[in-house]
Amino acid sequence: MDVTTLAVTAKKGSSDHKAKATNRERALFYALLLPAFLLVTMFIIYPVVNTVFYSFYDWNGFGPLKNFVGLKNLRTLLRDPLFWNALRNNGIVIGFSIFVQLPIAFLLAILVSKSSSRPTIFFRTVFFLPYILSEIITGVIWRFIYHPQFGLLQQVFAKLAPDYSYTGFLADPKTVFIAILFVVFWKYFGFHMILYVAGLQGIPPEYYEAALIDGANPVQAFVYVTLPFMKNAIQMSLFFCIIGSLQVFDIIWSMGQGGPVHAAETAVVYLYKFGIKSSKMGFGSMVAIVIFVICLAFNVLYQRVINKEER
Amino acid sequence: MNMRKGIVGIVAILMVASLTVACSGKTKADNGKVTINFWHLDSNDLHYPEWEKIAAKFMEAHPNVDIKITVLENEAYKSKLATVMQSGNPPDIFRSWGGGVMNSYAESGLLKDITNEYKNKWDSKIGEGAVGVYSYKGKIYGLPYTMGGVGIWYNKDLLAKVGYTNPPETWKDFLDCVKKLKAAGITPIALGEGDKWPGHFWWVYLAVRLGGKEAFNKATIGNGSFNDETFVKAGELLQELIALKPFQEGFLAATYGGDQAALMGNGKAAMELMGQWAPAVEIGSSEDKKGLGDKLGFMSFPAVEGGKGKLTDLMGGGDGLVIGKNAPKEAVEFLKYITSVENEKFLTTGPLGIVPTAIGAETALTDPNLVAINKAVSAAAYFQLYYDQYLPPATGEVVKDATQGLFAGTMGPKEVAAAVDASYQAEKK
Amino acid sequence: MSARTTNARKAVSLSEGTKYAVLIFFALIILVPIYLAVIGGFKSIGQLNSDPVGFPKPFLAENYSNIFFKSGFFKYFLNSAIIMSVTVAIDVIVAALAGFALSRFTIKTKNLVYQYFLLGLLFPMTLAILPLYIQLRALGLLDTFIGVILPQTAFLLPFHILIFKGFIKEIPDELEDAVKIDGCGKMGFFMHVVVPLSRPAIATVSVLAMVASWNNFFLPLIVLNDKDKFTLPMGSMDFVGQYLADWNIILAFFVVSMVPAIAFYLYAQRHIVSGLAAGAVKG
Repeated sequence: MDVTTLAVTAKKGSSDHKAKATNRERALFYALLLPAFLLVTMFIIYPVVNTVFYSFYDWNGFGPLKNFVGLKNLRTLLRDPLFWNALRNNGIVIGFSIFVQLPIAFLLAILVSKSSSRPTIFFRTVFFLPYILSEIITGVIWRFIYHPQFGLLQQVFAKLAPDYSYTGFLADPKTVFIAILFVVFWKYFGFHMILYVAGLQGIPPEYYEAALIDGANPVQAFVYVTLPFMKNAIQMSLFFCIIGSLQVFDIIWSMGQGGPVHAAETAVVYLYKFGIKSSKMGFGSMVAIVIFVICLAFNVLYQRVINKEER
Repeated sequence: MNMRKGIVGIVAILMVASLTVACSGKTKADNGKVTINFWHLDSNDLHYPEWEKIAAKFMEAHPNVDIKITVLENEAYKSKLATVMQSGNPPDIFRSWGGGVMNSYAESGLLKDITNEYKNKWDSKIGEGAVGVYSYKGKIYGLPYTMGGVGIWYNKDLLAKVGYTNPPETWKDFLDCVKKLKAAGITPIALGEGDKWPGHFWWVYLAVRLGGKEAFNKATIGNGSFNDETFVKAGELLQELIALKPFQEGFLAATYGGDQAALMGNGKAAMELMGQWAPAVEIGSSEDKKGLGDKLGFMSFPAVEGGKGKLTDLMGGGDGLVIGKNAPKEAVEFLKYITSVENEKFLTTGPLGIVPTAIGAETALTDPNLVAINKAVSAAAYFQLYYDQYLPPATGEVVKDATQGLFAGTMGPKEVAAAVDASYQAEKK
Repeated sequence: MSARTTNARKAVSLSEGTKYAVLIFFALIILVPIYLAVIGGFKSIGQLNSDPVGFPKPFLAENYSNIFFKSGFFKYFLNSAIIMSVTVAIDVIVAALAGFALSRFTIKTKNLVYQYFLLGLLFPMTLAILPLYIQLRALGLLDTFIGVILPQTAFLLPFHILIFKGFIKEIPDELEDAVKIDGCGKMGFFMHVVVPLSRPAIATVSVLAMVASWNNFFLPLIVLNDKDKFTLPMGSMDFVGQYLADWNIILAFFVVSMVPAIAFYLYAQRHIVSGLAAGAVKG
């Protein structure tokens, strides 16, 4: 039996074979969705629509909406080198996450998914722990560790490399972004790891046995058995990873507000600084819409790729 | 199974209880009383009771008034106030630093004009310069209860160690002093540039010393701009200081309260450029909670050779309260009460340690440094509110960002001036 | 044959060793910062500044006990707990109902509705804060717990509906047919089969909602005015603003704030893998 024929996509439950719904069922369907629909519409969709309106105004946010300027905010935005700096930083976050964070999460998932022994459960629990902490706490703990006068790193350098003068990774524009990226990794890799564990645990062991019988080596087993079954988990992980990277704010803000000198500034940090804090709500709204459109474009692409795969 | 039922039961009870509390969250003032919403940011354990005491005294004298206080720490206060103002529903009486931020509120009709009440019916009198900070286009929208200035706070012992029994009085002298301190292994200046506003003080003061009131007026309301020589030269002089590397390690990410004030309070740095609250914050941030005591000295910002500004010119600001557009008249009465000589004395002698504005209240000042500041405020012909409050909010942000660029070495003096000018041109209307 | 198995066994034990080395390495990366934060709270500020790594000498338990008795901690804790419980309850119920609808009915507009909900994932709360504030004011929900609970729940729904939808879809059709024979309609199926079987998904969504609500700083800051209603994150920022350089006290406060979230997580964590497995991964 050829190993490759065993590579199947994950099975999906489906009720598509059932008969069409009755009117009563249709009413029930909408009734079940009503609470969710109301909440999402009132508190997410409606504010988003309002944001679109605000983006066409040069408005400081106080008092009534005034000063219609058409697309001027968009022009200003696209001409601002700091905005492109922010987008470039978002790109770096995405790249770092996809090529460093996710592979490490995958590796660790493989190591902790096999059994349900006490040690593996312990490690699984520990790895997910940072995800539970709030961004503020994470920022405080790491600012403390990176602190140039009395942080952990300062002590470590003092003992191991006394000639090196540690001035604080968060204080140097050249190192601040990497320092923060590490914290982003620290906080979120557990989430992706759990997704991969979930995926790995769903692979029936018979496939591996069959592969072994066919004489496959570990690499082949990985490529022809593991990866295909992991497709859904990987897709989900990529989705949240990219959307999260485009929207990252809290951790960066609590570790220096994107500074010094915009070195760690991402799109949402840029929005908060130049929109909300500068009392330029109209401009801020335009930035929000641009970010939203980027996320939307990604989502459309993502859906298309998934749907193409399923055919 | 039973445990599950137990948990379900507890959750159910909790839910019912929570929903009850959640829905009754709104408090009504239906009992015939006038409610005053008072917002401030003195969230420190030692400070907020002072305001509660004043409010309580006022309510005793005015039994039909109910004062509801909302207190948040600094950054949270600014965020929340911004949102509240943006929704068009200001508190009745709330803390403001005046200047451009307050002006934008006034421009949008969110504040109450109290010019008439102040000029005709007020119990105390406040210095004109101070009142000016809370005026816009000739109308008064609030008053400061404390007004002070920014200057150099220095550790007398550390300066004496390198031969300065009196602090340096000119910029050249100042740079020499810094060099000597650095050579002696003492951190010359503590700076929390992560917060950005402490750094912009340096740039502003150099501009104040170089060009004085004239240069500033020319740039803001005259036919000049922030690209004028004054502001470029200010950047150049600041670069001279930065080149000496006088700040503590990692200053670019340091905070004011956690780092700058702590370094001073613990005697680990010789000088800081800060406002009248510096001693109080140094004490709070120090390890022994005592600070430097009378080892702390205060001096005016050094004179710059060839500068057109006067030595009495003062940069600084204070704290004040403004009145929201929907406020009941009792809120104005409350402001009058707070700015009375008696209550300003109360705030002066208490833990808040303000430098009072009401003429006559300054007799309660005991700290010689604060007395000096108080005199300087009265003597200043040109009183410049810090740029990040005076200029429109967007420009304030640019000033802070650009000056941080100077400190980080990523921006030059001309670029800083150009950035500030570009923003100011876009914002002024 | 036997040589091969011996080599294989050797390879396995070697890799066991490296496997644990790798795991321990990453576990340390996570645990050391947390450990430092915890012991930092027991130190005096002097010792914290000079020796951040060592064990507290003297061991100051009063930093921690002071938090409970002085800083209004219990009040903030209770407020956060109330908001959290109601959020979790509403979130689980609404998401489960919606997930059920989207996975076990055959209506043409099903996918459209699902995509509508997914839109909510693309817009973080920070961006929506001003229009949201105006909306809440118009509804009279400012300075109320409900004003925090409802928007918070709304932003959690897209992901949680996704989880329930995926999970409930996995329930075999035969089970639904079986209860139909007994005379149960869709809702009967929901109450008697879906809900009991959905324990992992309910646990997962509960933990995620609980954590999100407990850690939420921005929304309560904007909505709540009355200091008595403040949540724990707001209380901690207040704390930081007061105790600027007293890192030991700040760390203690934060560590104590973490405890409920961690406790709940440890209690429910065994379900998270299966919940996410069926819900997010297979779906």
